[in-house]
Amino acid sequence: MNKWIKVAFRNIIKNKRRSFVTLMAIAMGFTAINLFSGYTHNTYEGMRSSAIRGAGIGHLTIYKQGWNKFGKSDPDKYMIAKNEINKIIKIIEQNDSVILATPRLDISGIVSNGRNSTIFMAQGVIPDDDKTILGAFFAYQPVTGETLNTKKEYGVQMAIDLAQYLQLKPKDDAVVMAATLDGQLNALDIQISGVYDTGIDAINDKFMKVPFKFAQSLYDSQKADRIVVLLDNWKNTSIAQHKIMKQLKDAGIECEIKTWEELSAFYSNVKNMFDMIFLFIFSIVLVIVIMSTVNTMGMSVIERTREIGTLRALGLKRRGINFLFAIEGAMIGFLGSLAGAAFHMMIWFIISILHPTYTPPGSSSPVSLQVDLLPGNIFFMLICMVFLALIAAIFPARRAAKQNVVDALGHV
Amino acid sequence: MRKEQMNLIEMQNITKNYYLGETIVHALRGIDLKIEKEEFTAIWGPSGSGKTTLLNLIGTIDETSSGDIYFNGKRINSITDNNKSEFRNNEIGFIFQTFNLIPVLSALENVMLPLQIKGISASKAKKKAFKRLCDVELEQYVNNRPDKMSGGQRQRVAIARALITNPSIVLADEPTANLDFKTSNSIIEIMKKINKRDKTTFIFSTHDQRLLDQMDRLIQLEDGKIIG
Repeated sequence: MNKWIKVAFRNIIKNKRRSFVTLMAIAMGFTAINLFSGYTHNTYEGMRSSAIRGAGIGHLTIYKQGWNKFGKSDPDKYMIAKNEINKIIKIIEQNDSVILATPRLDISGIVSNGRNSTIFMAQGVIPDDDKTILGAFFAYQPVTGETLNTKKEYGVQMAIDLAQYLQLKPKDDAVVMAATLDGQLNALDIQISGVYDTGIDAINDKFMKVPFKFAQSLYDSQKADRIVVLLDNWKNTSIAQHKIMKQLKDAGIECEIKTWEELSAFYSNVKNMFDMIFLFIFSIVLVIVIMSTVNTMGMSVIERTREIGTLRALGLKRRGINFLFAIEGAMIGFLGSLAGAAFHMMIWFIISILHPTYTPPGSSSPVSLQVDLLPGNIFFMLICMVFLALIAAIFPARRAAKQNVVDALGHV
Repeated sequence: MRKEQMNLIEMQNITKNYYLGETIVHALRGIDLKIEKEEFTAIWGPSGSGKTTLLNLIGTIDETSSGDIYFNGKRINSITDNNKSEFRNNEIGFIFQTFNLIPVLSALENVMLPLQIKGISASKAKKKAFKRLCDVELEQYVNNRPDKMSGGQRQRVAIARALITNPSIVLADEPTANLDFKTSNSIIEIMKKINKRDKTTFIFSTHDQRLLDQMDRLIQLEDGKIIG
């Protein structure tokens, strides 16, 4: 075994220029795949956090049965009543993986500064629960002024473009108007506690966060339209969904439970797109690796035809010839991947020092380009490359092994 | 197994035809030949007479068109490719006109090769290969690669490699063709010495008179037939 590894290695070194070009092709492909993989991993992580914590949808959202189909036409009928809210939260919070269950009420209407009016949509949240859900994401949504708090029942947190349009700043007053669930027009005073950037360009000109009780007052209701559940780990989402569904069913509560993935269409769409791009890049790299290795090994077979004949005359079996060239191919894959891993580390290091930024579509501010270093992925890709190069080497190797010994010996 | 005779090699009515497009070249035309153990034999004749073809058939690196070849009474021209490989590894030593050493291996590694193909450990193979290189007076060149050796030195490495497995028979195809007078003589001496000492059978294909003068037996080929 060592003998053949030695022969393979020396043959790679013997043809320095050709081997270098092949190794570089594999190394560049390896680097490209791992950089993109590290980037998408970081992006998925960021988008997942952004959806669960930044947008505040939590891991699970519980609706009364029928809300998603008929809730818009008859909201009162499909909202969760006060006694049900407490009952559901009590059941949910029995689960170890649940950090928090909190009611929500989304409202919409018109907001006015006395001179100008415009439409708004707002999330009615319990301020302390909202902070828990935001967690570390709070740092990415800096608030000018004060955040929502339980002390100010009419204090709201207004999105930056909406505040700018209405020329409102923290501590300014305004009025919101909306139809109650009974269809009566209701108006309430608000005070701007804080102004903040939601992070999503499309809603910065119409979004507010208001205390849950304030939202209930505006709609003249004691109900919630959903209960948001925060789990200890996103990986527990599916298990918790089924478990909670069963618990609520057993308690006689008919409900629908949606996961963060179902509610965040943006995450799913972007993930699908990146997965497709990854597949595309991987396919290109796969073709490059196979073609380069087949070409290198093919030339090597032609150049070493007499050597193959000699080895066969000395008693090496056909599978021995296959094995020799397969080792050489695998070694090219391995060395190329090692070089690729080195390039990957170098580029990762440069990115982590320079912190380049870019503005993704739909985002209101630039984000820094980050690439995760994924040892598991790098190792898996190394195995993949070695395997691909080995497979690619087998075609010319089989041709070499099938040659007639006399013909091979007589090859010039 | 044939019991009535115990020649090392017996060839019966061997023919070998090559096809060049629609033209058939009759390289061997009904060869009957017996080679006994310990012979130091040369097959000689003009170019194209079929010397190399005959050697290739004995070495099982080429196929007969018809006829049978027996080795120690066992038919060898119809065995599987894997069995032929094992047969060559165990029983045959090859010496080629162009030496055919593996360029990326040192002299010692080249000589070790047939043993390692056999599955013998590197340490054992190394000891044995070194001894064989001493036999051919190359102990100072064990770590040299072929490109750092002269033609004569390379041919001596090839001889050591051919002998490393203690084969029953060594087939040498024009072994002195690429060597000068002095080197040829020393190569012939080495082979003759080994033939006497180890009782190894040597079959040469050659038209080198210096080599022919040293032979115990001469087989003359012409136009694919044995004529003397």
